Amino acid sequence: MTVSTYFQPDSLPEALALLGEHGPDLLVIAGGTVAMPLINEGISLPAKVMGLRRVGLGGIEQRGDRLAIGAMATLTALTTLQEVPLLAEAARHTASWAVRNMGTVGGNLFTPPPGGDVATALLALDAQVELVGPAGARLLPLSGFWTGFMTTAAGPDELVARIVVPVAPGRHAFVKLGRKAANTPAVVTVAVRAAMDGEAVRDVRIALGAAGPHPLRSAGAEAAVEGRALTPEVIASAAGAAAEDAQPFSDQVASTWYRRRMVGVMVGRALAQLASAEQRGA
Amino acid sequence: MASVVVAFELGGRPVEVLVSPLATLQQVLRTQLGHTSVKDGCRQGGCGSCTVLLDGEPVLSCLLPVEDVAGRRVTTLEDLTPVDGLTTVQRAFLDANGFQCGYCTPGMELVTKALLERNPAPTRADIAEALSGNVCRCTGYVPIIAAVEAAAAAGSAAAVVASEGATR
Amino acid sequence: MTAQYHVVGESLERTDGVAHVTGRTLYTADLAFPGMLHLKVVRSPLHHALIRGVDLSAAERVPGFVRALTHADVPHNVYTILGLIGVEPEEEFVLPVDRVRYKGEPIVAILAETEAAAYEAVGKVQLDLEELPAVFDMDEALAPGAPIVTHWGNNTFMYEGHPCRRVRYGDVEAGFAQADHILEGEYRTSPIEHAPLETTGCIAVPEAGRFTVYTNTQAVYFSLDNTSIILGLQPNRLRFIGGTVGGGFGGKVDVIVEPLATLGAMRTGRPVRYVYNRQEEMQVSSTRSAETIRIKDGVMADGTIVARKVTGLADCGAYSRQTPYAITKFAANATGPYRIPNVWVDAYCVYTNRTPTSAMRGFGVTMGHFAIEVQMDKIAERCGIDPWTVRFRNAHRNGDVKPHRKVTSDATLIETMQAAARLVGHGLPPELAAMTSAPRTEWEGER
Ligand SMILES: Cc1cc2nc3c(=O)[nH]c(=O)nc-3n(C[C@H](O)[C@H](O)[C@H](O)COP(=O)(O)OP(=O)(O)OC[C@H]3O[C@@H](n4cnc5c(N)ncnc54)[C@H](O)[C@@H]3O)c2cc1C
Ligand code: FES
Ligand code: FES
Repeated sequence: MTVSTYFQPDSLPEALALLGEHGPDLLVIAGGTVAMPLINEGISLPAKVMGLRRVGLGGIEQRGDRLAIGAMATLTALTTLQEVPLLAEAARHTASWAVRNMGTVGGNLFTPPPGGDVATALLALDAQVELVGPAGARLLPLSGFWTGFMTTAAGPDELVARIVVPVAPGRHAFVKLGRKAANTPAVVTVAVRAAMDGEAVRDVRIALGAAGPHPLRSAGAEAAVEGRALTPEVIASAAGAAAEDAQPFSDQVASTWYRRRMVGVMVGRALAQLASAEQRGA
Repeated sequence: MASVVVAFELGGRPVEVLVSPLATLQQVLRTQLGHTSVKDGCRQGGCGSCTVLLDGEPVLSCLLPVEDVAGRRVTTLEDLTPVDGLTTVQRAFLDANGFQCGYCTPGMELVTKALLERNPAPTRADIAEALSGNVCRCTGYVPIIAAVEAAAAAGSAAAVVASEGATR
Repeated sequence: MTAQYHVVGESLERTDGVAHVTGRTLYTADLAFPGMLHLKVVRSPLHHALIRGVDLSAAERVPGFVRALTHADVPHNVYTILGLIGVEPEEEFVLPVDRVRYKGEPIVAILAETEAAAYEAVGKVQLDLEELPAVFDMDEALAPGAPIVTHWGNNTFMYEGHPCRRVRYGDVEAGFAQADHILEGEYRTSPIEHAPLETTGCIAVPEAGRFTVYTNTQAVYFSLDNTSIILGLQPNRLRFIGGTVGGGFGGKVDVIVEPLATLGAMRTGRPVRYVYNRQEEMQVSSTRSAETIRIKDGVMADGTIVARKVTGLADCGAYSRQTPYAITKFAANATGPYRIPNVWVDAYCVYTNRTPTSAMRGFGVTMGHFAIEVQMDKIAERCGIDPWTVRFRNAHRNGDVKPHRKVTSDATLIETMQAAARLVGHGLPPELAAMTSAPRTEWEGER
């Protein structure tokens, strides 16, 4: 509980050096909206903490047909991102205004379910994670980033520096079911992205949040719609497949039973949105 | 545990505090600087009672290490209350009875101020979304939303008066 | 005409309004005193267990640790909040001696120079507990062979020697025999946490010869008197200062924080602050009790209720606090605002290993009314008549006798329903629109 040192490195190399020096004893915090509540209640008792607010990773820049989003970009910064409307929509449906002003996109990748709404959208967008460590930088597809509940492929000496998102035309849908309209943990979150070939769906990604130990894609639902027009029958079979693929859990928000059913319903709604008229022009 | 000195701007005045590492802005404001309008409902980011404005943006002081605000501008309700009378937002909350026990009120008013600066004519949905991080257990929110609407109306009326004054 | 009234019909500014909107209102936890210590408690991680040992040695080595308080420090360690109004027996431990009965029950209190040190020392107290079977369901708690929670050998609060609060009025069996329909229903409600935005807390400050306690209790003299009993201090040595409560809803009447904080001030001679964190407020402060309500009604074809038999179970958790009183209120209100000539009620206050329950807005009555009003709708459905009509036909009128033998003298249900119908634009049939709460005619009173 009694923290002996709070490091505030001014650059990424300085941060990596501190991480190398203090190793796993050093708790990294970004916006602090996940880490600080645990420290305040004495659930997490770190002796040494490192804050990333000054390392200069808050920027968002274009890299060819991709967007490189600094890990320290706030959720508020994402809400107005016109290049990737799915991400903006996911950010708008995450937490409250003040939390969005503090919480970061990098931190969202480390948020245990039912959190991780932005991470779910990033998964549907085929995003990549840029990890930086003593050996330099490496790009990892987000689909290979999570290895289990609260575990990732990031090494103990690595930090997430950026998240790289393709900017491509296509349709998207974001559906989050919570117990209230705003600032609510997810019962289930669904993010869908697809290119369209006439009425047929191509390269579809259907990502589920709060439906497993980390955001996951439903291979069954994707196979059910890939290359097909979104008829009610196709949507229904995809919804059923998603409910089967989900690995739901019970917590204070919802039961396993309810989550599994809602995965089906929400995937159905998301696909219906994808098929809807407003998206045709996009 | 070596204490550190942190300097920032509080309500337009420079302040310097000696703090233990990772002390939260909330604890420093409440116990060292006497700004007890900053409340302490949860320390989990869940209630909004500890809201302050950081460079004009609402943030939760319970989740913010005070070392992270070094060199930045912090505003609490103490800093906004005029010597005589009330701000437009305070007057609207008083007139609309936008409170019962008052514990959520400072946070509600700071978010309202920040909202109206960005969106002077918010819809009910805008208001509800903006205040969604601020819990009130007493009022059921209806009088709070009415207070924000009244503050918006009073603010735009004041803006009209000010601009008419300027053209005259 | 000159205005004679300055309040009625006017919207008045609240006396505390300006302080609230300027954030100047001081709540208990906003106060601080020189040399103030912070109190945090070690809580049971188990629902039911024997305490075999408590090892404080590692906690004592935490920098900033000042002292611990154990059951041996508490002058009168077993009490019951309602003892002040004659409720017996004393049952709740300020700090338990050899057994914990609910998860989160305090075992040892730690006093430290800072809150961080108090938390750290709490984390270092080693508990040696032997887990016991626990019971969380009321029907299971009442079944033979259930783990016994209380120290008197069964899991019910005893009302003058009976395991339940009873109401006997008329002859229910005769009523059922006479009825055209029998309707049975079982209703369950959940525990509800008040979740005030300001958590429960107090600061006890030693002064020459006495203690001043700043507290956000909703019941200042209740807290003072119980603290005086627990600490064996004459009431004139305690001065309790209440103030603005940051949300109470009935949840701040349990006298849990004041005795320990004052004891800490007695033992150290320093001001002591004991304020719940959010987790404590949600997990260990009392809730409204969960209830199971079983109703059997005998009803005539026109919707008139002629008999009601009720078994009510309220889960008081590990200690009964204010729940025995809630049950009495439940039993007295088991017919709601309706006249029923034959009534039989057995209402139990059942102990389980759940968080103790206590007062909350209308406790006892609220849950009963949920059951009663759903039951009224079912009666309407069964008899094929409008739900308004059923309520008008059964509504109490002046002169009606209630099951607890009180004569109704201020009935207003009929007039209230008429006003409600007007407000929601619901046209009432002439029969209902013409009714009043005036005493029944002899003919009407027959049934
Ligand atoms: C009231 C409230 C409501 C919320 N609602 C939602 C919601 O609706 N949806 C949702 O998804 N989330 C929600 N959250 C969770 C949280 O706000 C977001 O997930 C946020 O994006 C987390 O980011 P952060 O920077 O604050 O994380 P932090 O708390 O700073 O970080 C958490 C952990 O992530 C790791 N980490 C962070 N950044 C990096 C990095 N660059 N490199 C390596 N490791 C890193 C560290 O181990 C750190 O301890 C809510 C939180 C609160 C308090
Ligand atoms: S105290 Fe900071 S959000 Fe509740
Ligand atoms: S007025 Fe009491 S919490 Fe809002």
